[in-house]
Amino acid sequence: MPRFIVHNEAPNIMNYNLNQQSDKSEQKASNLASLRKLISLIGEERINLIKAFVAIFVNAVLSLLGPYLIGYTIDKYIQNREYHGVLVFSAILLALYIVAFVVNYLQMRMMGGIGQRMLFSLRNAVFKKLQELPVDFFNQNKAGDLISRINNDTDKVNQFFSQSLMQFIGSIFTMTGAGIILLLINLPLGIAALSPAFIVWIFTRFISPWVKRVNAESMQSTGELSAEIQESLVNFKVIVAFNRRDYFRKRFEVANHDNYSKSVKAGIANNVFTPVYTLAANLGQLIVLAFGIYLIVRGHFTVGLLISFIAYVTNFYNPLRQLAALWASFQIAMAAWDRISLLLSLETNLLVVDDPQCIQSDSFMTFRNVSFRYPNGKEVLHKVSFDLERGKTYAFVGPTGGGKTTTASLIARLYDATRGFVLLDGKDIRSYPPEVRSQKIGFILQEPFLFSGTVRENILYGNTPYRNLTNQQLSEVIAEAKLESLLERFDNGLDTVVQTAGDGISLGQKQLIAFMRAVLRKPELLILDEATANIDTVTEQLLDCILKNLPESTTRVIIAHRLNTIENADQIFFVNSGKVILAGSFKDAVDLLLHGKNES
Amino acid sequence: MNANTMSKPTIKPSDSTGSKPGIFSLLKPYSGIVILLIIMSLLGSGINMLIPKIIAKGIDTFSAGNFDRALIVYQFTGAAAGIFLFTFLQNIFQTYAAERVAKDLRTQLSDKISRQSYAYILKSNPSRLLTNLTSDIDSVKMFVSQAFVIIISSVFVIVGTSVLLILINWKLALTVISIVPVIGGAFFIVLRKVRVLFKRSREIIDSLNKIINESIMGSALIRVLNSQQPESIRFLETNLVSRNLGLSILRLFATLVPVIMFVSNLAVVTILALGGHFVVTGTMSLGNFAAFNSYIVLLIFPIMMIGFMSNIIAQASASYSRINDVLDSQLTDETGTIESKIRGDIDVKDVSLFYGDKPILKNVSFSVKAGSKTAIIGPTAAGKSQLLYLLTNLMSPDSGTIEFDGIRADLYTKEMFHSQIGFVFQDSVIFNMSLRENIAFSDKVTDESLDKAISTAELSDFIDSLPQKLNTVVSERGTSLSGGQKQRIMLARALAINPKILLLDDFTSRVDRKTENKILCNLLNNYPDLTLISVTQKISPVRHFEQIVLLMEGEVIATGKHKDLKESSPEYAQIYSSQRSTQHYEL
Repeated sequence: MPRFIVHNEAPNIMNYNLNQQSDKSEQKASNLASLRKLISLIGEERINLIKAFVAIFVNAVLSLLGPYLIGYTIDKYIQNREYHGVLVFSAILLALYIVAFVVNYLQMRMMGGIGQRMLFSLRNAVFKKLQELPVDFFNQNKAGDLISRINNDTDKVNQFFSQSLMQFIGSIFTMTGAGIILLLINLPLGIAALSPAFIVWIFTRFISPWVKRVNAESMQSTGELSAEIQESLVNFKVIVAFNRRDYFRKRFEVANHDNYSKSVKAGIANNVFTPVYTLAANLGQLIVLAFGIYLIVRGHFTVGLLISFIAYVTNFYNPLRQLAALWASFQIAMAAWDRISLLLSLETNLLVVDDPQCIQSDSFMTFRNVSFRYPNGKEVLHKVSFDLERGKTYAFVGPTGGGKTTTASLIARLYDATRGFVLLDGKDIRSYPPEVRSQKIGFILQEPFLFSGTVRENILYGNTPYRNLTNQQLSEVIAEAKLESLLERFDNGLDTVVQTAGDGISLGQKQLIAFMRAVLRKPELLILDEATANIDTVTEQLLDCILKNLPESTTRVIIAHRLNTIENADQIFFVNSGKVILAGSFKDAVDLLLHGKNES
Repeated sequence: MNANTMSKPTIKPSDSTGSKPGIFSLLKPYSGIVILLIIMSLLGSGINMLIPKIIAKGIDTFSAGNFDRALIVYQFTGAAAGIFLFTFLQNIFQTYAAERVAKDLRTQLSDKISRQSYAYILKSNPSRLLTNLTSDIDSVKMFVSQAFVIIISSVFVIVGTSVLLILINWKLALTVISIVPVIGGAFFIVLRKVRVLFKRSREIIDSLNKIINESIMGSALIRVLNSQQPESIRFLETNLVSRNLGLSILRLFATLVPVIMFVSNLAVVTILALGGHFVVTGTMSLGNFAAFNSYIVLLIFPIMMIGFMSNIIAQASASYSRINDVLDSQLTDETGTIESKIRGDIDVKDVSLFYGDKPILKNVSFSVKAGSKTAIIGPTAAGKSQLLYLLTNLMSPDSGTIEFDGIRADLYTKEMFHSQIGFVFQDSVIFNMSLRENIAFSDKVTDESLDKAISTAELSDFIDSLPQKLNTVVSERGTSLSGGQKQRIMLARALAINPKILLLDDFTSRVDRKTENKILCNLLNNYPDLTLISVTQKISPVRHFEQIVLLMEGEVIATGKHKDLKESSPEYAQIYSSQRSTQHYEL
């Protein structure tokens, strides 16, 4: 061991709380920038988007062409009583509408398809990001809030894309066209006519950040509501057993009311655009009327031109009024996207790094001066050093809250040490790719977790080599590992249906499944964190045999309170108040446990 | 009522067709604001129709030479101000109405859910209830805030314009109006199809919720096993179903909307061809023809709006019927009337419990004297926890009775019953609240009983070591606490209500031996009259209990004191001997 101890001062305590992320730096990015980021996420849709734009454009042209053709027919044929021409143009119009029908269909299919696919990829991206993040992240965020982000916020983005975007673009097309024509007909009058639009633009720029913020608040409150519901539903049995149904109602009422007031605020904010835009449209018309008449009096303009000018003003301001509602939905989508991109911008703090090679060790697992603290917590481990050899059995004992589970979590690299080094097989544990590490280290967690499914699915969860075995073959593997007597405890064996929630299956049975799951993976180091605490002692003896049946080189780490589960250990570590001390003998350990200072 | 037959989260769909309340009935309690809303919207759009008139009048009077600038400006400004005011008010009422409906529906739902039995929550699946309270309500909200007014005003405009058209030329009008039933038919067909799809897509959201939820609850396991990839695939598969459903719905609407527009455009062509014919043959004036042309635009626009809104209506209807399934669900009524205090005599008589066909408990009988201590031991999955659930009334037995002081448990009022029975669950249930709120979970807990509970559970040292003591907020799922700390918090929570009966479900499994002994000692000293029933794996701490019940595969194998069972029951002896090797170390 080298003399100099290198402390890797850890910058790796990360704030993963999504609702407490400081929104200083890049969060102030403009709409355009975050829109660009969003578009980059749906890169493969770019061609479809262009196709859809073409369809929207054709559709807009066709819908402008219709009234023009009708006007032409009236002027040219109906007024002149030429019915043949009327029929010809009716036929042309019909043909036009058939084309419009097809284009319209295509446009809806394409834009809607883009929206749906985008929703799909966004949800996948968010879920995938969740999978990349460490356990820390889940300790700092609430399940209900995350669900709300994945399902509700992505849907808000989708709603804008599949429903509003095509109107948005269509409106902008028509508006720009009408605006240009206005300026071409008469520049001063055109400028006058467009001036309210300019004011609206300033108003919009001024008010949009507020609208977005209020919507973000409303979404955050929706997330909180969702978290509240989730927590209460998951903990419902305590609510029933303590007859605190009123608790559920009260807590919910608070969140519900908060959500209500925030949503009303957001709703009103989203609705300020329409009346203002309408007012601007009316103002535009008034200006044109007054200024136009003034120009006519001055002899610069004619009544005929004024009438068509007013028609174009309507053509300009009607889409602008539509834009009002669309702009609100754009702000909602942007607020939702911010919430999503905040999540997407998080990175795991458990990166794979190069082995610094500053410590030599022949042991299978080595702790050197390891200190650890949870974010915002006090130090749980302080300068802990120990070695675990291949093929030996170690017991970690100590009072609750002493740091046993934390030590085990560091062995499995659920967290990184704040200071010091953890070495696996002589190399820094951080230098192993996750798949190699998880192959070597098995960890039966204190709280067994089952996925809704069958026992088979659960014991093979994350087990690639055995996944495709038939039940027959699997039974052989299970027999070989001496696990069949455990499996017998499930009514339908491998096909027994289990649920994540609910009490159809006991905690002890869940522990049995977790045990089988870990043993079948044949890890080189197996940690049992009070993994058999709720299993009866007779069955536990059976588990002991199974553990002994593991390959000779397997290292076992057992955390337990029951003394009989640890008496066969080769070495016993006493873990208390941040220190890990090697106990000389079993008797020693028991003395420490029974009479030692309990600082938990 | 049993938990493991819930693989399909089907809550008896109240599909007794016909009697189902439609989405519009939802607005009945809000008729006041809804009427205001409609008035505002009609006023707004009514005045809006005046604007072209004012402009026309301005131009006409100007051409005629008697142009009154001030009058026109006043009229115009007045109209513009009116429109501004009424659209603004309409929007505010609309927002307010939508959020009120959402809030009240949520309150109704939560009220209903909070009164439901534990079994109902398990059966209906929390993921689904979460969707009900969030996404489903959102759809309904969209309906109120966007679709409702548009539909009302659209229908209004359609009827109005139709009347105008008939007045101008009934022959042409009837031809044109004949498109309305065609469009109605198209709606009917598509909406009927899409309804099923929307319902399915909501159910897929339920499953997405469930997958996300499991991936969060199991996040540590997933990382230990490095199975993030399969998790993502699992999510992707369900998400794919969701996308395909979305695309199928889209296909229907992408057909419906163009069809509606095309049919409306056909009306335009008809007017041109047929109306043109009338004008050419002289049966219709050119002016009337022009009017017809402009009114048809007025007719088509609301039809198209209804087309766009149909999506929202269909979605909201599907969601509303899901919400109604929950609101209409049966409540287990409060049957109890007895308010008396419980002394603590417990009689379990011939109790059986089934999950589906599988017996969990078979004719279990035993009795417990007030103030005595009973241990229930037995192998994993013997039915011990379920027995405790029955004792707390979280579940009801399929046959047999459980009596407290000779009175059936369900005859007590819930309030009375639960305030006297403390239950420490096997798995830790921790709320994201302060420690104080977690422990003093009932509002009847006094500071004194809180302190007593905390010191009995040996939590004082731990709490004192925290900077914010009892006000420390615990994270969701208690991730900031060790297993033993969580278990002791659960114990303190049960003790804080000063129960007459305490049920412990394997509670010391994560507490070290020394602490466990202290806690048992504290219990005896601080709560001397307590009737204790403890499910446990370890015999030594309960050796001195008045009674030990040995439960195996749902049956009571033996009952008695430790020293008798040791001799009389071979099963008990076997369990005992499996723990003996370390016995001499234990206090």
